[in-house]
Amino acid sequence: MKTKNLILTAILTALALVSFMIEAAIPPLTPIYGIKLGIANVFTLFALYALGTRQAAAVLFLRILLGSIFTGQLVSFIYSLTGGVLSFALMVLLKRFFPVKQVWVLSALCAVMHNVGQLGAAVLMTGTVQILYYLPVLVIAGIIAGTFTGLCAQLVLMRLKNQTY
Amino acid sequence: MKNRVWIIILSFSVLICAVCWLYISNLSPLSQIVGIYQNGNLVEKIDLNSVTERREITLSGEYGKNTVLVSNGHIMMKSAECPDKLCVKHGELKNGGTPIVCLPNRVVVKFEDSPDGADAKTGAVR
Ligand SMILES: [Zn+2]
Repeated sequence: MKTKNLILTAILTALALVSFMIEAAIPPLTPIYGIKLGIANVFTLFALYALGTRQAAAVLFLRILLGSIFTGQLVSFIYSLTGGVLSFALMVLLKRFFPVKQVWVLSALCAVMHNVGQLGAAVLMTGTVQILYYLPVLVIAGIIAGTFTGLCAQLVLMRLKNQTY
Repeated sequence: MKNRVWIIILSFSVLICAVCWLYISNLSPLSQIVGIYQNGNLVEKIDLNSVTERREITLSGEYGKNTVLVSNGHIMMKSAECPDKLCVKHGELKNGGTPIVCLPNRVVVKFEDSPDGADAKTGAVR
């Protein structure tokens, strides 16, 4: 890995971590788990398209680990990790079908996957199937938040189209 | 697929989910019997109609205590020591489709005999 590439990965991880922590400090809009913007996702997407799969994985998983430690909410770690692993797997799997112009679509699909994963983890952790009633609202939240973060990453990627890392 | 196709697919999904959510968040409970669960185990089953005086039920979990307030026809999470307090912000348990959930302490308060009939775990009303 070239030095420039390594440094970029580190910077993106730091940015993802900061945005994650700022977002964690803002009181939630609704009393429903999992409804948030997920701005940190912008940096994962950017890393995936600009740098590569390994770098994106580093940005995502280091952010989840450090974010859970820094916010002191280890309880959210298991949910973040479940959602993170599932959405990242989908992201890597489907990336080839989505050119830079359609990063927003990939992002929306992955955000939905993320929320579904978290909900699944919540069902397992509480042993209560009724929590699945929250599925529709989490799918909507995922599509809206994913589209937004995807567009953010997409706009930057399109501006830097001819850049090499 | 073109962007336009995706816009249609995703908007349509949002629409369908919105309809489902409207339906779910307005499901009326089939009875006034509620169950308080922790770690998937029943802690207490209460018929809200037969509650005569207000009382509090305290549960302790990994992240501190949860206090459930029960009065005639009403149940809510009065206070909690969990980090996010989303269970308290939920307010009163209103319908069969949206249980009160405290993820950190793994507490769930929900109406029994919910429309999906999931009551197998607990058996009869205590
Ligand atoms: Zn709580």
